[in-house]
Amino acid sequence: MVVASSARDYINRILQDISGMKVLILDSQTIGVVSVVYSQSELLQKEVFLVELVDSISNSSESMLHLKAVYFLRPTSENIQFLRRQLASPRFGEYHLFFSNILKDTQIHILADSDEQEVVQQVQEFYADFVAIDPYHFTFHVPSHYIYMLPAVVDPSTVQRFCDRVVEGLAAVFLALKRRPVIRYQRTSDIAKRIAQEATKLMYQEESGLFDFRRMEVSPLLLVIDRREDPVTPLLNQWTYQAMVHELIGIQDNKVDLKSIGKFPNDQEEVVLSSEQDPFFKANMYENFGDIGMNIKRMVDEFQQVSKSNQNIQTIEDMAKFVDNYPKYRKMHGNVTKHVTLVTEMSKIVDERKLMSVSQTEQELACNGGQGAAFEAVTNLLNNESVSDLDRLRLVMLYALRYEKDSPVQLMQLFNKLASRSAKYKPGLVQFLLKQAGVDKRMGDLFGNRDLMNIARNMARGLKGVENVYTQHQPLLFQIMESIVKGRLRDVDYPFVGNHYQQGRPQDVIIFIVGGTTYEESRSVALQNANNTGIRFILGGSSVLNSKRFLKDLEEAQRVARSSTTV
Amino acid sequence: MATRNRTVEFRKHRDAVKSVRAPLSSSAAASASSTGPVIEMVSLLPSNRSSYAPLSTEDPSTSRDAVTVGLPPSWVDDSEEIATAIQRARVKISELTKAHSKALLPSFGDGKEDQRLIETLTQEITSLLRKSEVRLKRLSAASGSSEDSNVRKNVQRSLAIDLQNLSMDLRRKQSTYLKRLQQQKEGFDGVDLEMNFNGSQFGSHDDEFSDVGFSEEQMTKLKKSEQFSVEREREIEQVVKSVHELAQIMKDLSVLVIDQGTIVDRIDYNIQSVSTSVEEGLKQLQKAERTQKKGGMIMCATSLVIMCFIMLVLLILKEILF
Repeated sequence: MVVASSARDYINRILQDISGMKVLILDSQTIGVVSVVYSQSELLQKEVFLVELVDSISNSSESMLHLKAVYFLRPTSENIQFLRRQLASPRFGEYHLFFSNILKDTQIHILADSDEQEVVQQVQEFYADFVAIDPYHFTFHVPSHYIYMLPAVVDPSTVQRFCDRVVEGLAAVFLALKRRPVIRYQRTSDIAKRIAQEATKLMYQEESGLFDFRRMEVSPLLLVIDRREDPVTPLLNQWTYQAMVHELIGIQDNKVDLKSIGKFPNDQEEVVLSSEQDPFFKANMYENFGDIGMNIKRMVDEFQQVSKSNQNIQTIEDMAKFVDNYPKYRKMHGNVTKHVTLVTEMSKIVDERKLMSVSQTEQELACNGGQGAAFEAVTNLLNNESVSDLDRLRLVMLYALRYEKDSPVQLMQLFNKLASRSAKYKPGLVQFLLKQAGVDKRMGDLFGNRDLMNIARNMARGLKGVENVYTQHQPLLFQIMESIVKGRLRDVDYPFVGNHYQQGRPQDVIIFIVGGTTYEESRSVALQNANNTGIRFILGGSSVLNSKRFLKDLEEAQRVARSSTTV
Repeated sequence: MATRNRTVEFRKHRDAVKSVRAPLSSSAAASASSTGPVIEMVSLLPSNRSSYAPLSTEDPSTSRDAVTVGLPPSWVDDSEEIATAIQRARVKISELTKAHSKALLPSFGDGKEDQRLIETLTQEITSLLRKSEVRLKRLSAASGSSEDSNVRKNVQRSLAIDLQNLSMDLRRKQSTYLKRLQQQKEGFDGVDLEMNFNGSQFGSHDDEFSDVGFSEEQMTKLKKSEQFSVEREREIEQVVKSVHELAQIMKDLSVLVIDQGTIVDRIDYNIQSVSTSVEEGLKQLQKAERTQKKGGMIMCATSLVIMCFIMLVLLILKEILF
């Protein structure tokens, strides 16, 4: 069972048992949960004729007794308050309450108290509390996301809220999969440890009855790791389709907003990129940019043939055929336009920002040695007028992460150059990154230059040559997955929580990255699953990062850290 | 996919609260009635109503009644009628499929009854679809609040999808029928031709006896096949006509139907677009209000200034002249 389909099944089950005309009421979080797995036309088939947000439904007081209200909310106190007010003066005929997570007893009591007219038909917990953007990739949209970088003393209540949200979400994922995992975490990260411990407490003590499923031979594994262990992946430019769209334009819950990058006709301002609904995207989401161009050309050719055959209508039969094919034709037309627009816009951006040469240097920095050459390349790019400020900053960051200890002098030169070159550069951001995720903080071998085995492997790869210069980088996650498959993930680095140890190889592994996942990692997981090693990986994160988002988190964390030290 | 049903717990607590509330309210009522006279004795006129007020609000039966009285709006009936019409059309279509396959079977009779059945069925279905389509258009015509109109729009959409699927289905069936019919016809023609050929061979033998004209037998055969082809022609025309009609329905409906996999099909997009359009409307309204206000003020002020000026002139004139 994969996360996307189980979320879908939940929604299906909510809607199918209630007959008659319905209104579905969601909150700002569950709307994302429902939107990525369900479509408006499917809702219409289930006789859901109105979808509203919980705060806007309480604005109006017009009574609609012919409708049944189906609530699907997170059990937060604001939502309970909204519900309480609604139940005191009901607008709808029946109320069916579904919550996406574990309800507290007090919350049930509050609701029962306010239901004087007995309009509530059922109260259920349906654990779809994660946004399943791809079959093997889920995310929680955690507010104030930067907080994971700061120590807990800076802002205890926000950190607590962050942890609670993540733990609740993870609990929901495992309830949806009907499993109780053993939990491991990354030793060096405080926040990962805290989340792992709180999740263990919830699953083995507080709600142990709920998590008491039929014993499987081997429990699945939940591995909690920290984004700062691999800060390189979110800083790189991407060249595979899905990751590239997110990096250059931005994907939000499988939606791409094109309004920010130019003028488009009304129906193309926002487009949907979903692997579930779009077969072309499903086939090409992990392909690299060059191949995408070819495949799109093929699709356009195909489309032209279809439209040509639609043009010469002479007999009645042709006409009938045309009318038959018209919906398919229109769908194809929309799809072709969408992908062509996206690729055109992206290649425009690539040209503008000289991403070809920038990305080559980035990959060199991330994968190969050669400090002198790297320094020269970075300096040249800093001097190049057409390279954007963002790319300059990223180059210096990558250089700093790689050669932090080797060449402090050259690093200082780069800092000064960066400060003089880009006006918007915020001083100290690179240093902040090093403080957060520098060599001393990381324990893994991110660049593959610490032990002899890895160095040898790198050299071997260098001799063999790489297939594509732009996509040679492998995220750290790839190494972690490999060592899990081989059963060589070290207990010292990734200890178990409590006394729940793993016996044998797990069949399901959920890797949760505190601080957000990238689509490059999502691709890595999908390819790993396609290899069929007998272990199924699912990737989860507190958000989906691109470099802009990652830098924004960094800036925010730096700002808060600085203000807390001055106070 | 674990779930947990908390309804029992909820009900238990609700009942507990109710049982607590009920004696409380009755005792309150009792105390009110016992203290009532006292209050009335103390102040007869003004507090009379207030002492009864808690009684009327605590009475659950009246408020429940008031709630349940509200009837659904009239468009709900319309939509239900359309739904039943669609259901009927679906049944009829399955009947039609049976009739089609029966008509295509080779039979010894002339199959006129089958033809008539098919014709009437097709007509009935088409008229059903037409009627529901007209009614569907009416669904959005009535005015109401924004939420209500949203609901109506969505009901309309879902019915439109049903209707479209149905008419697609019907058309596909008809076109396959048509194709098979034409194939059969060609087959018949082929057979006829062969027979004619045989006949002409016969004719060459007969030449010795009679030189001119067709034989009696040939004439009847010719007439028969002519009649047959005319009939088939008519059938085909009939079907083509209904295909046309269906195409029209399709065109009208396609405005309403959502394309799957597009942004319009996203749930969050729909909510956001509704809220932004509401906001936009509010903004427009405020702007209109502002301009209106401004316009009135300016008009008023200018007219006053002009009046002042005229008065001043009059005053000066008066001073000068008199």
